[in-house]
Amino acid sequence: MAKFTLRKQYRPYVSPFDPCPSIRVKTYVTPPNLYVGFQPEKLPQFNAKQALFAGTLWKVFYDPYYGSEEKEKGGGQ
Amino acid sequence: MSQKELPKEFYEMMEELQAIDFVLVELTLYLDTHPDDFEAIEQFNENAHARQILKQKFEQQFGPLQQYGNSYSGYPWNWDDPPWPWQI
Repeated sequence: MAKFTLRKQYRPYVSPFDPCPSIRVKTYVTPPNLYVGFQPEKLPQFNAKQALFAGTLWKVFYDPYYGSEEKEKGGGQ
Repeated sequence: MSQKELPKEFYEMMEELQAIDFVLVELTLYLDTHPDDFEAIEQFNENAHARQILKQKFEQQFGPLQQYGNSYSGYPWNWDDPPWPWQI
């Protein structure tokens, strides 16, 4: 099974008369909380300093909304 | 009047205080919807205790953080001395 990722993709309609070379596969990023539902207990956490910079206490919700070309870096810096 | 220079440990302690405050905010929001999560409550109380100690230490060195009785005042009345929160 492919590795789970927040980045989803879809294929827009490509017309033969498109003025510019059309983008065949478009990607978009979905927030992690879509996949969590009611938050379970004992989720892994960042330590205090990391959490301050990551913007969340729980690792599963960390989502810096990378651009498609940026490498998907993990963890709070 | 010489330009007031903040020592390095001011910033270290302030960052630590901000980190603990952030954890407390996150845990408060979490506990609002998970009232019976014992481990999170334990963590919350640990951080609340650590914050009180750090606040005391911080205020002895750098003056009051809050007002209206949330912080002791130095002499003379010094809660409005620079730097203000947006100036540090």
